[in-house]
This record gives sequence, structure tokens and C-alpha cells, in this order.
Amino acid sequence: MIEVDLAILGAGPAGLAAAGEAVAHGLRVAVVDDNPRAGGQYFRQPPAQFRRDGGSWFDKEATRVAELLRVLDHPSITYLPDTVVWDVPAPDTLAVAGGERSGRVRGRALLIAAGAHDRPVPFPGWTLPGVISAGGAQNLLKGNRIVPGRRIVVAGNGPLLFVVAASLVRAGAEVAAVVEAAPINRRLLHAWPSMLAAPKILRQALDYRLSLLRAGVPVRTGMTVVAARGADAVQDAAIAPIALDGSVDRAVSETIACDALVVGFGLTPSVELLRLIGCELGYNRGRGGWLAVRSDRMETSVANVFAAGDGAAIGGVEIALLEGRLVGLEVAARLGRAGNAEQRRAALRDQLDRTDKFRRAIEAIFAGPSHYLGLLTADTVVCRCEEVTHGELQARQAEALDSMIQLKSTTRAGMGRCQGRNCMATLASIVSEASGTPIAGLNYPRTRPPVRPIAIGDLLHEPIPPPDLPADPHLPRRQNAS
Amino acid sequence: MSDKREQRVDDGLDRGRAFQFSVDGETVTAYPGESIAAAMLAAGRAAARRTAKRREPRGYHCGMGVCWDCVMVVDGVTDTRTCRTEAKPGMRVETQHGVGQRT
Ligand code: FES
Repeated sequence: MIEVDLAILGAGPAGLAAAGEAVAHGLRVAVVDDNPRAGGQYFRQPPAQFRRDGGSWFDKEATRVAELLRVLDHPSITYLPDTVVWDVPAPDTLAVAGGERSGRVRGRALLIAAGAHDRPVPFPGWTLPGVISAGGAQNLLKGNRIVPGRRIVVAGNGPLLFVVAASLVRAGAEVAAVVEAAPINRRLLHAWPSMLAAPKILRQALDYRLSLLRAGVPVRTGMTVVAARGADAVQDAAIAPIALDGSVDRAVSETIACDALVVGFGLTPSVELLRLIGCELGYNRGRGGWLAVRSDRMETSVANVFAAGDGAAIGGVEIALLEGRLVGLEVAARLGRAGNAEQRRAALRDQLDRTDKFRRAIEAIFAGPSHYLGLLTADTVVCRCEEVTHGELQARQAEALDSMIQLKSTTRAGMGRCQGRNCMATLASIVSEASGTPIAGLNYPRTRPPVRPIAIGDLLHEPIPPPDLPADPHLPRRQNAS
Repeated sequence: MSDKREQRVDDGLDRGRAFQFSVDGETVTAYPGESIAAAMLAAGRAAARRTAKRREPRGYHCGMGVCWDCVMVVDGVTDTRTCRTEAKPGMRVETQHGVGQRT
């Protein structure tokens, strides 16, 4: 058992920033991260074996990364890389699995900074090899400095599309088209003034846009990918207009040849652990879907359980860093270690408010169709793991099995190894559209440990429970007899 | 199979010495530190496995260890996520058909 003041899940921007702030105030911190290398998705680094001269466009964040990662060498930090949190047996305890590192981490406060993953949007052919999520394309570029194909279509919705497309162009790939579902061009004019609130991010956004312009990449707006086709890998993508109500006009579709199709319909916070802990969740489409309900101190509805960064609500790297620092500061203040916390907190909040103004402008520009169910055909696989098609789900709906829980338990959708990350959002849209209940009001299937697949061998490190535990109804009778 | 160097970004980067491993008996080139999936994509190979029910090809998709679509048989070990596994000289990588042997 590792015991610390602050136990952090996630060594991405939010987790590292919180750790940095906390150790600066003398706290003992543990950082548990699923990845072998720290940095999260945004600050993902190439392997140590790659020798870089630092001058590359791809190394533009190198100094900031190095600074952020330095905290992991601090003597007050216990850093557990390549380690999965598979359960939260109590709101102050993480059950971790990772070979020798398996066991328990207990903190006087907990920070869940789990990051985000791509919002899944199924369409015919989305399971074909060569159809890669925006996050996957970024990781390939950042982690391996490799582009996924030689002629690439980038399609979906949201600012990340433009980041990915520009990065691919910078990497020397041919980007055949960027296909953006929202009618962003008509909205840009209104959004300008509030974007000036964060000049640094604005400059970055312009840099991305200029890269695409210079490379002559066509940007198609108000359109979506409707199918990917190919035998053993993607060979072309069909695109068609989509309206904000989600209706798709396949009659005017066109085909673009490509050997990779990068799809990104925005990110969604990885809230599984928050759900498991019992933290209250809200639903906000613009911030990624289900998200953590938090106080202005980033505390969830469960006392001393904090959530920050994209794993709490999608806001991007700058917001994640600021939220992380706020959590580190808050925990230090509660333990009486922060000195003049008030002043520092006000400064961080002020920066956060300005960055959030920019975020809101971006959110307004990229507000996309209400759903993408128009892309589904009966044969479209919705649950990638268990290979459940839209037709099978519809058949169950016809039998009035129409709640998320019923669809899951009768079709196995959501029961595979990705643990619903690639299908539950679609199931929610299907049930919501059919029943007229807003997604926020749907009953979400319960989350149970292990929340990530783990090797059975890792459980050998589990502590043996003492015999005087309170009676557990799931255990054999012997335990219940007094 | 030719080393499609152009999918590797060279901008200010020294990857060190190339080495070989095999995928379904064919030679694929990699550089130290690259993941199996990355080296395969750079060699123009997107497919990693075939699914159990529909026998569909799948490959690298999420790139972050979440989707399990990149799993292959690596040196005899089924269900190995190639997006998270480093390529090593002489490694034997094979397409995984259906679900892996759970041990
Ligand atoms: S690509 Fe998704 S787990 Fe490897």
C-alpha cells in the first residue's frame, strides 16, 4: 500500500500540473499512468531512441514537455507508469495493476485526470483497416513520427481535425481533403472578437489553417464521410452533405480515393472511473458528452475526489494545465500547506476564465449535427468488439427492448474489451432518438470493476481481505453467519 | 517489400539503425522504438487481425490501447496490442484470427 497526500490517476497535462503544484507545496504525491511514457496524449513523445535536433515543427512543445515531466523526478513523487487503475474500492483508494507495481494507492485526496478518447461515430466501413481515429493518427505522428498513409482524407467534426490535418501536411503527407461536418465558414466572423482572449492559442490555430492553405488542401464544410470502402483496407471514402439536424443527403455523395481515412468527431471524457466512484455526472454535448459535475475548486460531488482536464470535460491542453494546478493548490490548502493560496488561486482562475472564453468561441464555431445516426445502415457494425450491427439493435428495439441496459444485455453491445468506449455513445443516441428522452435522462448501464482488462496474474498482488469485513451479500453464506 | 520511407517523417530526426521483423512471413523494416503497428503502417500494411464472427479485417484504430483492434500474435502470444508493443529485430508477428487463446 502506497499512502500519499494526493493520489493522481493520469500523467497527462492535468495530472502532471497537479503533481507539480502539489510537490511545490510540500505534499507527497503518487501518479499512476496507464502509458509506459508520461505526457498523456497531447504531450506524447517519441521513444528515447529517436535522436532529435529540436528544430522540427514537431518538437515545438519540447521545452514545455521537459519542464512538465521534470516533476516526476521529484523525491516526493511516486510514479507508477504502465499501470492500470482497475477499481476504486473506496473514494480514497486506487486499485492498481501492473505486474510488480500491483496493489493499492491511498491518498488523502484523489485526482482523476483520465483524459479523453475519440467520440465514436459508426458509418459503413468504419471498421476497415486504414480507418484511424484522430487520436490514433496523432499518436502515430507524435509517438512514432509516422503518417498512416500516403493519401489521406481527414473527416469528422471539431478543431482537432484541423490540428491533425495540418500536422499530416507538415509531416509531408498528401491530405486529399478535410471534411468538416459543421458549417464553420459562416460562423467564423462572429467568433473573432472572443478568440482574441487567448492570443497564443489563436496564433497556433492560424498556423494550422495556413499550413492547409499553403498545401492547397480542400476543406469541405457541412459535409461528412458516409462510407469507407475497400477489400482488406480502405481504398476510398464517400462524402455527402449533412445538416445540423443530422439528416444526410446521400444523393449528392462524391468519392475520394485514399489509403488512410482519419476520422475525428470530437473527444469524449473518459469518465468510467468517476462513474464507478459514484461522482455525479452531467451531459454537455459541446464539452464532449458525459462529464464530471464539479465545484469551482474542481471537486466532484464526492468529497476530496477531484477531476481535471479533458477527463472531466473537454477543454484542451491549456485548460487541463490550469485545472491541474488549481487541484494541486486546493489540496495543499486543505492540508494547511499552501500559504497565500487565495492570491495564487485568483491568478489561476483569471487565466482559466480567459482561456475558457476562447474555448467557448471555438465550441460555437464547431457546434456540429445533433447526431450521426443517418450514417447507419442495417449492416453497419455499431459495437466493434462484439460485432453487433445496427440491424441487430433495431430488431431488439422492435421487441420493445429499448433501454441502453436492455440493448446491452441482449445484444452484448458494450460488453467487449473496449468496455463500451466505442459504442455506448451511439447506443445512447439510438435510444434517445427512438424514445424522445434526452441523453442526459437515460439510465446508463452500471460500471463494474475491472474497468480495464487486466491480467489475472496481477490480482495475485491483491491484499487478502481481513476476516472481519462487513457481511457481503455476494459472498457465500458462511460470511453472513455471525 | 520496399521500405516506404516517405511515411516516416525525417524532419530533424535520426532514427538510428533499421532492423527487420516478419509479419505473416514477410519482412517489415522498423527503427528502434517504433511500435509494431507503426512500422507495419509505414510498410503499407493496415490489417492486423480478422474478427471472430464476421471474419472482417481490422487494424490500428484508436492508437491508445483502448480498441483492441490492433491485436496480433506476437512471438506466439495472442492478443498482443501492436500499437503498444515495440517492434524488435527478428520478431515473428502473425495475423490473429478470431479471439486469442486466453491463458
Ligand atoms: S489501436 Fe486500439 S488498442 Fe491498439
